[in-house]
Amino acid sequence: MPRGVTGPSVRFGVPVGALGFALLLGAIILAIAGNDPIEAYRTMFDASLNGWKSQSRTLALATPLILTGLAAAVAFQMRVYNIGGEGQLYLGAIGASWVGLALPASTPMPLMLSAMLIVGALAGALWALLAAIPKAYFNADEIITTLMLNFIALSLMNWLIFGSRSFWRDPRRPVPGGKRLPENAVMPSISGRLHIGIIIAVVAAVFLWWLLRKTSWGFQIRTIGDSPRAASYAGMSVRLKTLTVLALSGALAAIAGVSEVSGVTKGLEPVALTTNIGFTGIIVAVVARSNPLGVVPVSIFLAAIATSGSRLQSIGINVEVVLLLQGLIFLTVTAGEFFVTNSVSLARTDATATETEAAA
Amino acid sequence: MNSATHLEVRNLTKSFYGVPAIDSVDFDLRGGEIHGLLGENGAGKSTLCSVLSGLYKPNSGTVSIDGQAVQFRSPQDASNHGVGMVYQHFRLVDSFTVAQNVVLGMHKRQRPRSMRQVESMVADLAEEFGLHVNPTASIWQLSVGEQQRVEILKQLFRGARILILDEPTAVLAAQETDRLFEAVSTMVAKGHSVVLVSHKMAETMAYTDRITVLRRGVNAGSVTTADTTPAEVARMMFGDSAAAERTNFATAHDIGEPVLSLSGVSVQGDHGLMAVDDASFTVRRGQVVGVAGVAGNGQRELQEVIAGLRTPVNGTIEIAGTDCTTAGPKKTAQAGLAYVPEDRLGVGLAPGLPLEHNIVLKSYDRSPHSRRGVLSNTEIEKTMNKLVEKFDVRGNRSGMRVSLMSGGNLQKAILARELNEDHQVLLAAAPTRGLDMAAAEAVRAHIIEERAKRGVLVFSEDLDEIVKMSDVVLVMFKGRIVGSFASDELDLDEIGLLMTGSGTPDPAIQASS
Repeated sequence: MPRGVTGPSVRFGVPVGALGFALLLGAIILAIAGNDPIEAYRTMFDASLNGWKSQSRTLALATPLILTGLAAAVAFQMRVYNIGGEGQLYLGAIGASWVGLALPASTPMPLMLSAMLIVGALAGALWALLAAIPKAYFNADEIITTLMLNFIALSLMNWLIFGSRSFWRDPRRPVPGGKRLPENAVMPSISGRLHIGIIIAVVAAVFLWWLLRKTSWGFQIRTIGDSPRAASYAGMSVRLKTLTVLALSGALAAIAGVSEVSGVTKGLEPVALTTNIGFTGIIVAVVARSNPLGVVPVSIFLAAIATSGSRLQSIGINVEVVLLLQGLIFLTVTAGEFFVTNSVSLARTDATATETEAAA
Repeated sequence: MNSATHLEVRNLTKSFYGVPAIDSVDFDLRGGEIHGLLGENGAGKSTLCSVLSGLYKPNSGTVSIDGQAVQFRSPQDASNHGVGMVYQHFRLVDSFTVAQNVVLGMHKRQRPRSMRQVESMVADLAEEFGLHVNPTASIWQLSVGEQQRVEILKQLFRGARILILDEPTAVLAAQETDRLFEAVSTMVAKGHSVVLVSHKMAETMAYTDRITVLRRGVNAGSVTTADTTPAEVARMMFGDSAAAERTNFATAHDIGEPVLSLSGVSVQGDHGLMAVDDASFTVRRGQVVGVAGVAGNGQRELQEVIAGLRTPVNGTIEIAGTDCTTAGPKKTAQAGLAYVPEDRLGVGLAPGLPLEHNIVLKSYDRSPHSRRGVLSNTEIEKTMNKLVEKFDVRGNRSGMRVSLMSGGNLQKAILARELNEDHQVLLAAAPTRGLDMAAAEAVRAHIIEERAKRGVLVFSEDLDEIVKMSDVVLVMFKGRIVGSFASDELDLDEIGLLMTGSGTPDPAIQASS
């Protein structure tokens, strides 16, 4: 049955317990596959979380995930399902790289990066509005429209680089690719591949949490998410909020694109940008229960699993086993969420059935 | 009436989260009796019924039928033992026929193979018990009363000997109530036993053989109806006689200026027909106007158009001198309308959010609850604590979703919020539905208190309640206001006829007071 109030011991105990359970199951699978589980886990830990070098690699991977996770989370808070993070991310990358290439290379970095962020975010927001307007006015299912817009955005980006002599394409390169961004349009590195995008992502998470929990705007979003009829009854405009929330969601996903194009690929590179970050963000938001502050650790966790995977292959573990292990950890932690929101009682069949609270 | 004990409950306890909802309850149901089960909201009536119908497993205690101890593993199991429950909210599939619904969920071996045969059996049962309904009709074509008969037939078809009726009259008009109790008396005459869960003292006294009262999960006593009085039963329910005393509302008061005026208002319904047709009336300060009518005659649409949730196709609506015809819900509320909607959870309250959120649902964006768009949680909490105390809202825990609170407390929470606003007129829809007597009286008292300074428009399916509270009674039928009566010239028979569409509507009636 549903829990009335979820205490902190449950909220934190369940994921930790689930992780332990996953590692135990994984150890059995590794042993069956003929690998040493201890060695495998040590390698995973070393590759993703042990030492600054591993940590920075994990954080670099987590950066865009946090942003697309936030994009999905803010929409989910209102029970609007933006599946278009992927496409909005491309639009952000296209918009930001346009600014980076169009402005003089001598533009000061703060100005350049700000302009890229703004234009990229706007591009993503407008792209999301293409789905938001039909949703708000004709109740068109946003799951379908945002999903479809992903394919259009992907085709647009591919066309800009592979199918045309566009402004973005570098004509001198033998293999089609984007023009390199000038130095002032590249987000400064913190360490290795980790760049200041992580700061933007974390600030965005805190800001979004504040927006949702502490402002009257967020109050309306949460009310609509719980009961649109109660919200209309209280005089809130569901239509207007649908438009603004989807625009904000699109902008956040687009900032992930800005961060990737400016901090990682340093030019509009379709192949390097199509790594399903937008889709993975949806999973992040679901696991984080649409809580912006939860999005950050979940993204890092997911990034850690991903970074450790490639290293596992390098110590001779079969790629299928690696994928199995990654999936298992993720599935178990996700499934554990059931116990956070529900308490389970085991009733005996005899008359004196006793209720047992599910172990946290 | 055969007096052998049919169903025997001993020491039954069922706890949730360690809190007993019913605690060591004893209960006897004799063969061929109608046994009233009374109690406040949260007294444990539903829990007891859910255990008896196999939905919950008790923590301890025994249930026996005809001397045989039984343990139900599921409602189906209970049904196999001859116990059938008719819920207040029907469990029927709208697009299926009556006969299909009757056999729905029954095992192949338990039911006849051909639907034709089921239909004729249902028709026979309906004839036998006076539960007339067409077995081949689809559920959506039936009235609420007919749907209820289907629910009862469903249980009789499965061989139920013990029927539990959960507030069966809550959804019925007066004439339908009489028909229901005719059918119930036929059932007991044929040896069935009936548990009647009710909130209405009058019908409990009129129709039951014995009454059991639950108070805070404990059996507060079982009495023979003929040997008791309403006052005694009320005492058993509430513990002292003071709480059972009814407020006398017919006090003198001054009538002031109009605070709500409708003129020629028509509203398009969800199915394209006119749900409200040319409605005109006025509510004045110091006046309670009651709208009587069987549910589904345009009351909901009329409420929504007044609240600004719908736009009329014709006519004008004025609240305290401001034209609110197309103002929308927010401006309508600002013009001075407090609105207690029929649907508490889902419209009146956001069910998944905590009480403090719901208490400021309409004032979250104003000082002191927020400044420049930033919420002040301390101020919101302050408001909540103040109102929780003033309106005696109980059962809240910090951060708990409101849907876990009881109906009476939910209604008090809505009243607390609405009456806290600076308003001129209160629109209350079915304000006491599903509440126990004490909570209903408290809610009525709040509404009547409103009359002193403001105007009140109240909708209710409970004619007694309308009559008791209102200075003017309007009758609504098929979207039209078909009657208007001042409190000193009430003609209950005429109102009842008008409500069911059989009276002679007076075309001259358009404005009241």
